[in-house]
Amino acid sequence: MVNSMAVNEEQTAEIEQFLCKERVERFLYEEAALLDRREQKAWLSLLDEDIEYKAPLRITREHTNDNFSSSAYYFDEDYGSLKARVQRFESEYAWSERPPSRTRRFVSNVRASKRDDGTVEAKSYLLLYYGQGDSESYTFLAGRRKDVLRPDGETFTIAKRDVYLDHAVPKIDKISVFL
Amino acid sequence: MSTPTEEVSSENYNSAEHSPLLSEIEASLEDGKLPLKAFNDETVHELELERLFSREWIFIGHESEVPEEGDYARRYIAGDPFIFIRDMNGEIQVLFDSCRHRGTKLCRAEQGNTSHFRCPYHGWTYKNDGELVGVPQKEVAFKNLDQSEHGLHSAPRVDSYAGLVFASLSDAGESLEEHLGEFTWYLDIQFKLPDGGMEVIGEPHRWVAETNWKTGADNFAGDSYHTGFAHHSIKQLGLGGDDTVGVAGAGETKDRHIHCNGHTTSTRMVEGEDVFMTYPDEIVDLFNPDNVTSEQYTAAKEALSFTGSVFPNLAFLNFGDITDDPNKDVTGFLGLRKWRPLGPNKTEIWSWALAPKRASEETKERIYKVYMSNFGPTGNFEQDDVSIWNGITDVADSTFASQHNLELNYQMGTEQMSEVAYDEQWPGPGTVYAINLEEVGMQKFHDQWFDHLSTPLETSRRPERSECAGSSECELPEDGE
Ligand code: FES
Ligand SMILES: [Fe+2]
Repeated sequence: MVNSMAVNEEQTAEIEQFLCKERVERFLYEEAALLDRREQKAWLSLLDEDIEYKAPLRITREHTNDNFSSSAYYFDEDYGSLKARVQRFESEYAWSERPPSRTRRFVSNVRASKRDDGTVEAKSYLLLYYGQGDSESYTFLAGRRKDVLRPDGETFTIAKRDVYLDHAVPKIDKISVFL
Repeated sequence: MSTPTEEVSSENYNSAEHSPLLSEIEASLEDGKLPLKAFNDETVHELELERLFSREWIFIGHESEVPEEGDYARRYIAGDPFIFIRDMNGEIQVLFDSCRHRGTKLCRAEQGNTSHFRCPYHGWTYKNDGELVGVPQKEVAFKNLDQSEHGLHSAPRVDSYAGLVFASLSDAGESLEEHLGEFTWYLDIQFKLPDGGMEVIGEPHRWVAETNWKTGADNFAGDSYHTGFAHHSIKQLGLGGDDTVGVAGAGETKDRHIHCNGHTTSTRMVEGEDVFMTYPDEIVDLFNPDNVTSEQYTAAKEALSFTGSVFPNLAFLNFGDITDDPNKDVTGFLGLRKWRPLGPNKTEIWSWALAPKRASEETKERIYKVYMSNFGPTGNFEQDDVSIWNGITDVADSTFASQHNLELNYQMGTEQMSEVAYDEQWPGPGTVYAINLEEVGMQKFHDQWFDHLSTPLETSRRPERSECAGSSECELPEDGE
């Protein structure tokens, strides 16, 4: 009796973990699809008003392949500055996105774990195809992300996102997309 | 005051291969124009490397980036790798990153701190001032090698002004002091005003754009004309004030374009007001009138912004009335940028943010955030600039452009285009336009550029060792004993 209860508890925990990961994946995929469809205002509604959204600069050091600046960023945003960026992209004078780019966000390697405070830590990889205009050229941005998600029913809101790009020197005219 | 375009002599053209191209450029320049193809042409690019970047003073970095002994950062002059380092004596060195044995690069990081560099190939070891201090198996393998003659090569000339470190690949030519000349009056306002000096926040942005380096240089050499149009979205959103991003020449501000010693700066000012680039009080309190002249202090006080270009590929902007979010306070920030040519159609843009060293961490963070929201690869301003600039690159190598010698127009501000008014009362040096609608500053940039391109280098000399760079006694390493 005692043994099978233990098995059940273990299974329940695993199922819960599985469910959590499933929900996180679903959320991240939908979020990526939303951005790729350029529904940036809808994307904004997925963000908590106290969001911290950061993408620090990668700094090449001699003995580590994973070193990031503690004071220099591609993005160091709060809700207000993200909202301003979203609104700017709607202007016909936001030349960096005229014509609007074509993006495809490939989200993979999703790992999720519940944190003591009820939020969920979600780690994922991001590969972003970026093409624009009628040119044959395109580029990719790659990196990993670490999010803190707040459960909201079966879905989530984003409380925190850290994006760690893999590029030492990005080969792209401008980064006019959300990561 | 008049602003004659300097006559450029074509006598020096040394090669039949280059002379048709140079003559074509020269003819365009005389008319206040420039051939479109100059912005994406292999021969022009090669001439720039050979005759401009190998000769001029090129910005390397700010002293605050290497504050401690042994701190270093990888830097480049066009394609050439250098190590920007503070040695154990506290001296700044700019060392060519190549082992004196068989040449491989020694520096394997973007930055760090080290007392020595050890070559990964055969283990020669150099102190952080470039001196060769270790040769494995020396007694057996290299017993007659004079180590003192085999230190890392230094850039032939290294000098600094107000914390800005420059190097030149040429051991002859005008000094940095001569190169900057009276333009230091304007650099002082950006770099010397606060007690404790300025420092770089974090590490510079670097990204590679499909644009020609001269397009960025042009833009910072007095392109106030583009701001109200290219950056109109900033104004629409209330991220920048009317006076900062409004249409040039249309506002209430006192706008000036200044050409001085081959460099340029433009400013928007509010006469009689305490503006100080809209920096928060904490920063303004650090601005000490004793650090500059009273005229410089007044100019800083009235200024909303200063944008400028130091020939050939350094630019700065001390930009005010700008924010990352219309619901937050505006501030100023100081940015430095360098256009590093990687090819006729490829530029690595380097962009630094600076703040007064003595500012609080909180204020530095705020200044950085506003800088990053507007400049750098994700900047709300810069995104739009670069995506417009690459359109120039795209057409510059067209068949049409070269077969029909299509030309770009830089005639704004010349007598043939507009009434030109100068500010005779201006307290600082240079030729001062009483309006920010003129492109003569860009013409001056092109004239200097052309001057370099049409002047062949003297026969190249062997670089000197680091310790004796610049002095004549030890020109050539001696062979053997
Ligand atoms: S190449 Fe550096 S020690 Fe041989
Ligand atoms: Fe611009």
